[in-house]
Amino acid sequence: MMMRQTAKKALGLTSRQSTPWSVGIFRSYHENVIDHYDNPRNVGSFDKNDPTVGTGLVGAPACGDVMKLQIKVDEKTGQIVDARFKTFGCGSAIASSSVATEWVKGKAMEEVLTIKNTEIAKHLSLPPVKLHCSMLAEDAIKAAVKDYKEKRVKTNGA
Amino acid sequence: MNRTKKLVASISTFLTRRTSHPSSSSTLRFNPLATFATNPQTNLTRESLQPPPSPAKPLTILPFSGRAFCSESCDKRSSSVCWNCGFSSEKAAFLFCHSCRSIQPVDDSVDYFQIFGLEKKYELDGGSLEGKYKDWQKKLHPDLVHNKSQKERDYAAEQSAKVTEACRTLTKRLSRAMYLMKLNGKNVNEEETVTDPTLLMEMMELREAIAEADDSKELNQIQSQVQEKLKQWSDSFADAFESERFDEAVNCIRRMTYYEKACEEIVKKL
Repeated sequence: MMMRQTAKKALGLTSRQSTPWSVGIFRSYHENVIDHYDNPRNVGSFDKNDPTVGTGLVGAPACGDVMKLQIKVDEKTGQIVDARFKTFGCGSAIASSSVATEWVKGKAMEEVLTIKNTEIAKHLSLPPVKLHCSMLAEDAIKAAVKDYKEKRVKTNGA
Repeated sequence: MNRTKKLVASISTFLTRRTSHPSSSSTLRFNPLATFATNPQTNLTRESLQPPPSPAKPLTILPFSGRAFCSESCDKRSSSVCWNCGFSSEKAAFLFCHSCRSIQPVDDSVDYFQIFGLEKKYELDGGSLEGKYKDWQKKLHPDLVHNKSQKERDYAAEQSAKVTEACRTLTKRLSRAMYLMKLNGKNVNEEETVTDPTLLMEMMELREAIAEADDSKELNQIQSQVQEKLKQWSDSFADAFESERFDEAVNCIRRMTYYEKACEEIVKKL
């Protein structure tokens, strides 16, 4: 337990509330969500100013969540080679962005734009009340791609 | 397993209660059997027993008289008729009938500000809210209405819940702001994703600072900064709302939501 806390501290994720689910709760999180919460993949940041990096920063007005998703793109092939995320929000939001970073890796930018929030929600079995978290992840992906493209235009134009 | 049963049981009782008790709009065609059994004073032949409202009657043409017909959704402040004594008033009788003092069913046209006798504005004197809340609960709390009929006790429970909800909504600045906007028909769209980079960057950094803060001193410092920002945006909201700059008001509410969330996180850590 202590190890996990220190590991989480190292990842800068202590702002998340401690595991809200306990034995006996009527509705619990799906195991996929718990998996992403306990073993988050791709947490971290890229250098925002790196020209190969696209940063998507989105927020959910209802719950005050913030989600940052970054992609690293191979300039020659246009493929996403790596991704990182940092999310402040509920377990579902964190899991959604974690899943998003996993799914964008190794795909072309045009392809990731077709990732739908419903797919993320299905993968995590999100209840209706948490659907907006997956929507946020979809928006984050789109924002990251958009940011990268805009940066390219700027560097090419300059 | 037990919990599921309890949940199902409570839901089914709730549903049967709802269906067996008339809502405010249908008090005009109350069930004579129900009142007859519980309240001997009810005079079924009096003017209170009105024919069912004609469904085709549009709300807007309703005259403000005691015998006005009320169609299904009484969301205007039309007159209401007491289910017990038939006393009718122009003002929606909130909670109690002015004539026979029996508890009325929840009337959705009564807004939270009316319950506490407050003006529909953002600035609020917290003390007055608390006092009035206690007064209402003294009259309405389900535990205190033993001597009344089952029907009235049910109404009391509903009214009590509404009063509690009202108090909760009006006490906190953010919910009060959102409620005010709602009353003015300007629903704050919570679904739309926020993409304002400056706002989000600031929030990201704030949340990171909270996450990295080690001791309570640092956290308290951040908290006071956030509280200050909240006050600032709260004032901006008041200003924007008064001047009917509703888009700006929505923006203020957004910011307040984020700051409130940050405060919650700090409190959790402390």
